Amino acid sequence: MDALLDRRLLVVTGKGGTGKSTLSAALALLASRRGKKVLVCEVVARERVSDFFGRPPSGPTIRQLLPNLYSVHVRPREAMHEYALMILRYETLYKLAFENAAARYFLAAAPSLAEIVMLGKVWWHATQEMERGKPRWDLVVLDAPATGHGLTFLSVPAVFLRLVKEGPLARDMRGMQSLLADPVRCAISIVTLPEEMPANEAIELDRALRSGGFPAGPLFLNGFFASRFSAQEVAQVTRGGPALAAAGEAADNHESRSELSAHYEGVLRKEIPRELLRVPFLFDRQFGAQSIEKVASAIAGSS
Amino acid sequence: MRPLAQVLEGRKVICCVGSGGVGKTTVAAALALSAAIEGKRALVLTIDPARRLANSLGLKELGNQETRIAPELFAQAGLHPRGEMWAMMLDLKLTWDELVERQARSPEQARAILTNKLYQTLSTAMAGSLEYMAMEKVYEVHTARRFDVVVLDTPPTTNALDFLHASDRILDVLDNDAMRIILGPMLRAGKLWFKLLAAPSAMVLRTLARFTGTDFLRDLADFMIAFEGMYEGFKERAARVKALLTSPEAGFVLVTAPNPLTIQEALFFHQALREDRIATAAVVVNRVQRDPRRHGGPDNVAAMREALMLAQIKDSGDLAERLCTTLTEQSMLADLERREVERLSRTLSGVPLLIVPRLRKDVHDLSGLWQIDQFLGGQ
Ligand SMILES: Nc1ncnc2c1ncn2[C@@H]1O[C@H](COP(=O)(O)OP(=O)(O)OP(=O)(O)O)[C@@H](O)[C@H]1O
Ligand SMILES: Nc1ncnc2c1ncn2[C@@H]1O[C@H](COP(=O)(O)OP(=O)(O)OP(=O)(O)O)[C@@H](O)[C@H]1O
Ligand SMILES: [Mg+2]
Ligand SMILES: [Mg+2]
Repeated sequence: MDALLDRRLLVVTGKGGTGKSTLSAALALLASRRGKKVLVCEVVARERVSDFFGRPPSGPTIRQLLPNLYSVHVRPREAMHEYALMILRYETLYKLAFENAAARYFLAAAPSLAEIVMLGKVWWHATQEMERGKPRWDLVVLDAPATGHGLTFLSVPAVFLRLVKEGPLARDMRGMQSLLADPVRCAISIVTLPEEMPANEAIELDRALRSGGFPAGPLFLNGFFASRFSAQEVAQVTRGGPALAAAGEAADNHESRSELSAHYEGVLRKEIPRELLRVPFLFDRQFGAQSIEKVASAIAGSS
Repeated sequence: MRPLAQVLEGRKVICCVGSGGVGKTTVAAALALSAAIEGKRALVLTIDPARRLANSLGLKELGNQETRIAPELFAQAGLHPRGEMWAMMLDLKLTWDELVERQARSPEQARAILTNKLYQTLSTAMAGSLEYMAMEKVYEVHTARRFDVVVLDTPPTTNALDFLHASDRILDVLDNDAMRIILGPMLRAGKLWFKLLAAPSAMVLRTLARFTGTDFLRDLADFMIAFEGMYEGFKERAARVKALLTSPEAGFVLVTAPNPLTIQEALFFHQALREDRIATAAVVVNRVQRDPRRHGGPDNVAAMREALMLAQIKDSGDLAERLCTTLTEQSMLADLERREVERLSRTLSGVPLLIVPRLRKDVHDLSGLWQIDQFLGGQ
């Protein structure tokens, strides 16, 4: 875990709803506890991480959530504005080119422009330096879009560089590409669940990421049920009569989910050559700061 | 009337919508199965089903093929449908191509578009493309009248507007006035377009080119030239698709998981449907934890030990504790979910709410789907 948190950029991706935001928050929390100054960048439509810590949404400005832990919501329109300004230098030029129907148009039509500007902004945070070469952030955690989109997202620099080879944007894209390919500074993690579709998607995603040359971070198996009862115990309690009907059903439920967990853990270990870290299913009334705390200690403890 | 019958009654098109992983594909297939059992010729049009489900139904991967679920498969599951169940997996690219061919004014125009470099990216990568084509395919199948009912499975959408207005947004991209003006010089200049980039008047174009590269702009101009004159036809057809979906012949089934976040999204969806004057036919809350405590029984460790002893089960270690923990966890989850469902049902007053418990195993064949149908039917 230490080595993982020593990277400059951690990317967390996986199928929708598997726990990417949860794991991003937990990784950031762990790093911040180790004295690192951490920024979580969320790039999907709905911001989640600030909410986990009971804070209002950060929006497009960086906000502190906890000591050493900050978050920002990177959205295409604002990122486009900021980023275009950095490159174009002149507000009027930007207005002319982008503050009309064309901007909306381009964000929709040029399929990767939104990704380019958002990734550009994340990259800028990850490599931003203060005076005397000290980085502004020790670690940037990128809560990336779900699978299909996540892949597109990470492949943006390569695709762009195939089309455009010169100019300020191409130079930045080259910077991003080298960061995203550098196992010393960067790692891409996958989050999945012990279910058929998420597991299959994780397997495909892992292959695509490896063939794209992205440095492999751990695979997080979220929502894990550890076995608690022997088969004999379940059988006995289930047949234990009316007084034990509830207990029998509960034990049987638990074991059927733990069987699925064990089954998919086996499949994933066999198919995906990454360190696998289990994250237990949490029975929490409110999924909040305490839950993130538990997830953090689960992943810190399991390696 | 049983809730499921109420959903199916008189409907020719049913769209299952909802957030990622909630069970849209499963519910869509279960609805089609139920219609087939009742004697209808039913088609489920699915998008990216779980591999095991697709395999067990004998579905083919590509080519927009309507496949009949073999009668043997029903017999194996102990089912005897009075009707037929068909399934088809949506092929995004092919659906686009067919639409272009149908709408083009001449085979030459169709060819110009289909061979355009940007057409592939635009058709398959644009946000909302899958939603648009899913609706388009449903419309096509519906108007061919080969089926009594078509059930549409949709891609995950947290935002209803992404779904309902997918065609508007895409058509706006295909034919956009602002873009025509900006690209104007390119549209007119033919092969000498690059010279224009040097002209002072092309500053906006030049600025855009720094982001997208000139090739992209060139391809876009080509595309717009090829698409010339087809826009109206597309728009008209999209309007007819929408008219079908908002008619009483169609119904939307919102599928959701019983957690606060997903339910919130389902409620947003419901609201957006209402704003478009579309009624929600039913809401399915899927994978609900049943409360094991509904059976009663001991509720503390001491009582559990006693019950185990009475049943002559040896508790050599902490079996009673483990059972109590497990009961408490599941009971708590069930309680949490019950509250969410109640909240949902208060907000939805009038819309049938169908509760499907979490089954012990994934749903990957006809008997699994039939089990879901039993719960949808209100048993
Ligand atoms: N280990 C866990 N135990 C129980 N519930 C969990 C666990 N991890 C996540 N969840 C629940 O699942 C929800 C979704 O998690 P999260 O928002 O992290 O997923 P995501 O992959 O970021 O989703 P999206 O694709 O929508 O961005 C959380 O709000 C939480 O309620
Ligand atoms: N009631 C249920 N009990 C147990 N498992 C279920 C139930 N409903 C669905 N499943 C399982 O949950 C998984 C997800 O279901 P499904 O594929 O239908 O979701 P989806 O909403 O179509 O997902 P996606 O958004 O990825 O298309 C499948 O493996 C399915 O077998
Ligand atoms: Mg998220
Ligand atoms: Mg599906």
